[in-house]
Amino acid sequence: MYEAVHAHPDGQSTVARLAKTAADYGYEGVVVRNHSSARAEYEPDEISAEYGIDVVEGVEIRADNPEQASGSVGNYRPSHTIVALEGGSNALNRFAVEQPKIDVLAGPMAGSGDVNHVLAKAAVENGVRIEFDLSGVLRTSGGRRVRTIQSLRKLGEIVDYYDAPHVVSADPTSHLELRAPRELKALGEEIGFSSEFVEDGLAEWGRLAERNRHVQSESFIEPGVERGRYEEES
Amino acid sequence: MKHLPKHLQPRWRYLAIELEGWPDASIDRRAFQRECWYAGQNLLGDPGSAAADLTVVRFEFEEGVGSAIVRVHRGETEPARAAIACIDEIDGSPVGIRICGISGTIRAGEENYLGRRRQEFEERNVVFGNEERVAVVRDGSADVRLDDAFAGATDLDYNLA
Repeated sequence: MYEAVHAHPDGQSTVARLAKTAADYGYEGVVVRNHSSARAEYEPDEISAEYGIDVVEGVEIRADNPEQASGSVGNYRPSHTIVALEGGSNALNRFAVEQPKIDVLAGPMAGSGDVNHVLAKAAVENGVRIEFDLSGVLRTSGGRRVRTIQSLRKLGEIVDYYDAPHVVSADPTSHLELRAPRELKALGEEIGFSSEFVEDGLAEWGRLAERNRHVQSESFIEPGVERGRYEEES
Repeated sequence: MKHLPKHLQPRWRYLAIELEGWPDASIDRRAFQRECWYAGQNLLGDPGSAAADLTVVRFEFEEGVGSAIVRVHRGETEPARAAIACIDEIDGSPVGIRICGISGTIRAGEENYLGRRRQEFEERNVVFGNEERVAVVRDGSADVRLDDAFAGATDLDYNLA
């Protein structure tokens, strides 16, 4: 299972500290998804070797409108394993699910954003994972939390019906905000998601990273066409 | 009152919990108990938190790390786990919280799950973000004091001054 984190300077802890804590908590990997305006400097291989946890280079694009987002996707896609787009308005949500180059639509229900059957179908078609962001459940209280849970439940029903791909994250910005997978599963059960759903959503980050690394690797030419070992001629 | 016959006594489970905060956090048992009950009430409601119990039976917190044992009714451990995961700050200081294990007795919980963490720490000067800073270093992790906050780092992030 993987967790997608915001590291210093986007959050308060460095990638290494988040990776160290995540490894302690039983995660298999972390996806660094700093916002495009606050990139972190880190050595994924060094951290990975030190703490025995996979470190995936990602980015979360924050844009005001689809035009701006489109430019950013083009910029970041070649160099990052996972490209997420921060949703939160209907226009951006729509743009994200219709763009196969985007891996994850992050926080679609934040702000004025909403998701409906049209977006869910588009997400299935383009393989865009819809994020279930548990940060609002973990770290707010009162009416705001009630609304967050309501919107997550709505999203859950739609995603469940269309069997749309999803990811789950607690969206931590420091090592203190990380929570272990078992805790997130227990929390999921309380707010109406099965523990398999949460586990699947946490594991999806890892599958996504593996797929994209394969696609971006040298041996991959196009779907179904790969450079194999039989190519050598003497 | 005479105590209950054994088969009517409540079956408890004890959650062994590890806490972590920034080095300047000071948290006492009373505050942690209050947050546990609040978290239970907010997530599980009054009936749910009555069913779970969530009484703090052991607590210690020093220099940014601590541990606790929370008593829960048998069969309510998963809701209790969810409620405790929702504690994000205690008395205004952010905390990391993790349930290390569940035991049938307090002693087994302490022996099996708590007290493994090394308590030694030292203050050192480190270079973080091209500036010299003071950091509290513990077991390879460092909490670096910035101007008005802390940053979590590890041995890989700084050059020793």
